[in-house]
Amino acid sequence: MQWISQGFVFRHTKSRFHDLDPRVKLLVSVELFILSLLVSSIPKVSIALTGVLIVSFSAKILGRISRSLLYTLMFSIFIFVINLLVGYSPLDSLVIATRFLTIVGSTSIFFLTTPPDELELVMKWFRLPRDLVFAFVTAVRFVPVMMLDALQIMDAQKSRGLELQKGNPYSRLRRFIPVLIPLIVDAVIRSGELAEAMESRAYGAVRNPTSIFRLELKQRDYLLSAVSIVLSVSSVYAFMFVL
Amino acid sequence: MHSDTVNETPEKDEIISFQDYSFTYLGSEFPVLSNINLTIRKGELVIIAGSSGCGKSTLLRSVNGLIPHMYRGETKGSVHVTGVDVSRVQVVNLAKKVGFVFQNPENQIFMFSVERDVAFGLENLGLPREVIRERVDWSLRLLNIEHLAQRAPHELSDGQKQRVALAGVLAMKPEVLILDEPTSLLDPSTAKELIEVVKMLNSELGVTVIIVEHRIDLIVSDATRVICMSKGEVKLDGSARYVLSDQDISLFGVSAPIPARLNLLLRNEGISLGKLPLTISELVEQINVKIK
Amino acid sequence: MIEFSSVEFQHPNGVIALKGIDLTIRSGDVISIVGENGAGKTSLIKHINGLLKPTKGSVSVFGVDTRKESVSALSRNIGIVFQNPSHQLFSESVEDEIRFGMINFGFEEELVAKRLNWALTLFDLERYRTISPMLLSGGEKKRLCFASVLSWDPKVVILDEPTSGQDFLQKENLMNVIKILSSQGKTVIIVTHDIEFIWPLQPRIVVMAGGQIVKDGSAENVLNDEDVLKRARLLKPHLLSLTEGLVVKPREQFSDVYDAKKWLVKTLRG
Repeated sequence: MQWISQGFVFRHTKSRFHDLDPRVKLLVSVELFILSLLVSSIPKVSIALTGVLIVSFSAKILGRISRSLLYTLMFSIFIFVINLLVGYSPLDSLVIATRFLTIVGSTSIFFLTTPPDELELVMKWFRLPRDLVFAFVTAVRFVPVMMLDALQIMDAQKSRGLELQKGNPYSRLRRFIPVLIPLIVDAVIRSGELAEAMESRAYGAVRNPTSIFRLELKQRDYLLSAVSIVLSVSSVYAFMFVL
Repeated sequence: MHSDTVNETPEKDEIISFQDYSFTYLGSEFPVLSNINLTIRKGELVIIAGSSGCGKSTLLRSVNGLIPHMYRGETKGSVHVTGVDVSRVQVVNLAKKVGFVFQNPENQIFMFSVERDVAFGLENLGLPREVIRERVDWSLRLLNIEHLAQRAPHELSDGQKQRVALAGVLAMKPEVLILDEPTSLLDPSTAKELIEVVKMLNSELGVTVIIVEHRIDLIVSDATRVICMSKGEVKLDGSARYVLSDQDISLFGVSAPIPARLNLLLRNEGISLGKLPLTISELVEQINVKIK
Repeated sequence: MIEFSSVEFQHPNGVIALKGIDLTIRSGDVISIVGENGAGKTSLIKHINGLLKPTKGSVSVFGVDTRKESVSALSRNIGIVFQNPSHQLFSESVEDEIRFGMINFGFEEELVAKRLNWALTLFDLERYRTISPMLLSGGEKKRLCFASVLSWDPKVVILDEPTSGQDFLQKENLMNVIKILSSQGKTVIIVTHDIEFIWPLQPRIVVMAGGQIVKDGSAENVLNDEDVLKRARLLKPHLLSLTEGLVVKPREQFSDVYDAKKWLVKTLRG
């Protein structure tokens, strides 16, 4: 839960990076991601990790990225152990495990700096199907609401004597039914009401809906894109032929 | 304005008409609405009252097409809105003429910012960007929520959310505005504020309003018409004074405003207050006059 | 026997929901906690059965500090009926739903059956005994939630916005049940913003605004205070506005329309 919250949930923060066009933010994330995939030695993985941390620092999300990487460490250790068992050398396993951290970090950067509204615009720009984009935005919009509902449901059931903490894992699962069912019913009712509201606001009336907002590239976007492309291409070249 | 009897309708002013309309949900044995004959004229402010299950929600949804298009069932008779037969036009197309505000503030806001959400309907209609911008600004100003334009829904109170929903609907400039128990999850002060906005939309913008509201006292003095329903039928239909003067509408599960209830009780004791008071201040005035 | 001493509650995200709460509720009291949405009423009642523990100060219930007991143990005597029925109902049948609480509290099968019958009768749900709760109407669902809480016979009954979404007849029935509970000596706490509904009951009223208790006293006293009404964004009950405006005042406030009628008949005739 915390892992998702720290690593992927957008919060309002002010930084020059946040002000960039979301497509540029996506570009930077993707560049770091690709770089992470090409990592095959300690020096390379350090460069990739440093890249992630530098960008995070400039976006003022270093704290959250660090915390999310701390949570990701669990998975990393798991990957390290599995690789060891399968036969890779400790050094290689370390590289692979750390690579996982950079991959997660690079994708986090995009999600932590891009509000859902901008996410929607990016998805539309990629010409993704309208319904898919809408479903995604609605999900992001309602996940916090449903989490609150879940808490209220747990409160109501605890007040009827339900003890969620007791017992072995199996009985704990069964005890969750009085929480799970109302949650599902709630979701179903919610979708029904949303559907009514959507129709009443003409969703689907026109094949190509317009948009009040438009993505516009500014000078700083071009500049940063150029700089980052140069850096990434040279890094890729370096990774593949020099280091 | 209107006589105190059930109205006969001059055709040209008609905006909504139900003709011998009945509806039975698919799989249901009994009709939820029976033989509804109703005509609503442009600019009216109509209150629909009745106990739970009397069919009021179904009636409202029959106007914007959710019934029969989204909820299947058997229809008899017809419903026309601005001259158009509801059963022949899709909901999304009726949405241009009929705006609908639902009960739950949360489930009517889709987007991550107020501005975007108010623009939602206009984007769906494919209007040009400049028009959308203009209408959104107009709507936010009208509802006094310009300062909330960039906020996210989880940062808003329920009352604010309902205003955002209303703004989103108004931006589409509908001729008819339908509100299904819009204040039932709000506290009384917030409810009052929202109702004042609805009254203003009717009196200043001429929007025809149909509202289902339990707190009748908040809106009864501005209503042009009160319709009481019970078990799927229209039982009473007329001006507020006509409906509240002679009968005890609590028989229909509706809480009549206190002035009306007192008026009836006093009448039963042979005391007449004169014209039916619709607000507490009117009631106080009339009683004081009698005392002197 | 419910005692709040200088209670403060701060959410993990920093928001302070309750500040400086001092409140004493005695056995058999009928109290209404009023205020607008967000004033802190729900946070307050969640402290009574331990769902929330104070970040400062303490809450004691029947002499026990709520931090020393589990929610389950406290709920045996404190029954909270929450506002939204869909946040509670999950069973396959109405009777299973009512049984749920009693089973959690370890009631014997014979007692469960007895209390089940009693609850079904009191709330007129007998004919729905084997039906799925999901098939009930909104008003019936609310009655079912109420029934399921009363089934385990808590000494204190707390109702959170019991009138929301209810029509006239449903509200009348609700008032009758509240009166029955009070006559049985139960402590009844009604959290609501529906002042018109509780006015006829003339309960003790605790007004909340911004997480604090603004006033605590008799219905007439509290609701006549213009400052309090303004601060808590409450609307004055109609009958109170009525007596205020009359040139000749009645000796006592009208608690319902029938009171008003009687006095008016006397005054206008005599």
